Amino acid sequence: MQVNEELVRQITEAVMAQLRRQEDASLPGEEALEKSSSFYGSVSDKAKPPSLAGRERINPVKSDYSSYPKAKKGTDPKEVVIGVGAAFQREIKKTICNLPLEEVLKNLRAGIEEEGMVPRVVKVLDTSDVCFMALEAAKLSGSGIGIGIQSKGTTVIHQKDLYPLSNLELFPQAPLMTLEIYRQIGKNAARYVKGEQVIPVPCANDPMSRPRYQVKAALMHIAETEQLSPELGMIEWEG
Amino acid sequence: MKRSKRIETLDNRPVNLDGYIDEWPEMGFVAMRSPYDPAGSVKVQDGRIVELDGKKREDFDFIDQFIADYAIDIGRTEQSMAVPALDIARMIVDIHVPRKEILELISGITPARMAEVLNHLNVVEMMMGMQKMRARRMPGNQAHITNLKDDPVQIAADAAEGALRGFAEEETTMGVARYAPLSAMALLIGSQIGRPGVLTQCSAEEATELELGIRGLTTYAETLSVYGTEKVFIDGDDTPYSKAFLNSAYASRGLKVRFTSGSGSEVLMGSSEKKSMLYLECRCLYVTKGAGSQGIQNGSVSCIGVPGSVPGGIREVLGENLVAALLGLECASSNDQSFSNSDMRRTARTMLQFLPGTDFIFSGYAAEPNYDNMFAGSNFDAEDFDDYNVLQRDMQVDGGLKPVTEAEVIRVRSKAAKAVQAVFGHLGLSPVTDEQVEAATYAHGSKDTPGRDVTADLMAAEEVLKRGITGVDVVKALAQTGFTDVAESVLSMLKQRVVGDYMQTAAILDREFSVLSGVNTPNDYMGPGTGYRVEGERWEEIKRIPHRIDPLDM
Repeated sequence: MQVNEELVRQITEAVMAQLRRQEDASLPGEEALEKSSSFYGSVSDKAKPPSLAGRERINPVKSDYSSYPKAKKGTDPKEVVIGVGAAFQREIKKTICNLPLEEVLKNLRAGIEEEGMVPRVVKVLDTSDVCFMALEAAKLSGSGIGIGIQSKGTTVIHQKDLYPLSNLELFPQAPLMTLEIYRQIGKNAARYVKGEQVIPVPCANDPMSRPRYQVKAALMHIAETEQLSPELGMIEWEG
Repeated sequence: MKRSKRIETLDNRPVNLDGYIDEWPEMGFVAMRSPYDPAGSVKVQDGRIVELDGKKREDFDFIDQFIADYAIDIGRTEQSMAVPALDIARMIVDIHVPRKEILELISGITPARMAEVLNHLNVVEMMMGMQKMRARRMPGNQAHITNLKDDPVQIAADAAEGALRGFAEEETTMGVARYAPLSAMALLIGSQIGRPGVLTQCSAEEATELELGIRGLTTYAETLSVYGTEKVFIDGDDTPYSKAFLNSAYASRGLKVRFTSGSGSEVLMGSSEKKSMLYLECRCLYVTKGAGSQGIQNGSVSCIGVPGSVPGGIREVLGENLVAALLGLECASSNDQSFSNSDMRRTARTMLQFLPGTDFIFSGYAAEPNYDNMFAGSNFDAEDFDDYNVLQRDMQVDGGLKPVTEAEVIRVRSKAAKAVQAVFGHLGLSPVTDEQVEAATYAHGSKDTPGRDVTADLMAAEEVLKRGITGVDVVKALAQTGFTDVAESVLSMLKQRVVGDYMQTAAILDREFSVLSGVNTPNDYMGPGTGYRVEGERWEEIKRIPHRIDPLDM
């Protein structure tokens, strides 16, 4: 597992490595193709970002969750289910803007608890689409309110009877998220449960986050998607 | 290592904040040609395509099947496929081969062959191709009208100013999705005050967007997304067939519709099937054509960071715009998403569509400051208006905008804000204060406006849906509060729905509500001395930028 996390870190670095790239820009190219086993060694040289051409996965190993308990439908009307991504806290440990996922989860839970509601965390293994993740969490939730969160940090608050691509609140710009915003999201989700008139968490907007982060987002999403095990659906996740 | 000051300076340039990555075909990070792309091929048996791009019919996924059955002219496909890709590429650039002839030839080729054709063209040849193949004779432009507060008063004011500046279409979206009915209404009202005949759209979740359209609160739709691999379609709970059905739902109510696609989406979703971005986008465009849509918004759109990161990616983006035009589709050619930290790079990227002209050069120029752009930022924004006008003047190119005066801007913004105030008041929706009208009139962006009562607005938005408020109610409210001319314009927009002419390819409306489309004003470019030229009154208008030196002032 350590190896995998290291690899994700290195790939992420590869994207940003242009910033540090030295004059010797000759690429590993064919060589890397031929001996992909020496990949780990070659990337330690930070001057040369690794070419991944020829490789079909980011993490060679897929986590096995078959022994985990399947997530059950909740009955507690105070419950808010948080559905996390397949790579959450395993292959990926930090969001796209480097917030530790453990802290993210802690703040979501704290927000829900501060409003007197009860959080439950599940891992969604049949989709990595954040809207569907959130909707599945909502359908599982005793209250019908759920939160979906991808490992890169993109988050949606959903309600069980809404259209999949609709939502109560959507936070599409993961690079702009803070732990405080995650706490607010937890609070708002709990307030929807209580039937209050909720003021949505103000949206942050940075027009330059796309050019800077989109490739990183794509790589993190690939790393998440390749960990899906659709046959397992959703599992209970202690976090 | 001791650092070179030169390299250090270069390292700190904005262009180096952008993301770049080496080609990685296995994950789809490859622009125009992947080693895994199929070669173009076709076989017809008993009037049915039984082999497409190296795949037998029994192995088709639903995209292949949809394309084989609906997007390729079966009667002429074998004949078209007999023409080498290089010959087709040369015909595209040859001024002596008319657009119509190319459209006919292209109607028989397959997606993989299309990608092969495009691979023969460099960017200048692609621009030549676009100049000739664009559907409408005159190019056009589209604006994004949004703000961080989802403030409908500002939406109306910005819509009015945008329409005044020349945008033929205006699109809004929301930070908080539930604002949609109010946003759509404000956009509809504001647009007609800036210039009668501007088309408006509210980008929302598909069912909501359809409902707003059916009620006459919008006049076109654009957010029907299609993808190049089956997996991404399925993830979105969709198929080409469901999109075709949705397209028909709009058409049945007389609404103009275009689809949306763009390279990089399959990469972002982790399902590129190892194919190049261009090949996958070709599949999207064939699906669009097969579904009977008149047009497409493409050019990577919101995924621009992906093609933008790989070698040749921006060439590919122009390439996919050209493929749309080659298939006879209206092309709203993106440029609508922040793309680079470098002003040089973002401008260069836009020149590829600006110089040849497309049906809509931007499918969303931010007509507000980018911090207010709720599509996460456009490639050009309100602060670039004068730069853009000067570019038009420098090169004698029609980019779809015109210089305006401060007095005109203030007049239309004020009228739009007041009209929204009157309509909301008349319909008993969330009130608009005089202070908000004043602020929206003189504002640059939402940092200059007082906040709205969000809870009251969201309740009002729900009311609009519950009470079944329609475009006709907006017309009545405008008429009864003294905005007779605006009422007439909005009513004329609703009449278009009955007439239906603006559903033709690449249609826009002039200020008399007459349609200009690829059907009644088709592109007739065939080299120097032909086609659309910037001249006469339009050229005079472009010349009149602000800040010209008055020689008598010396």
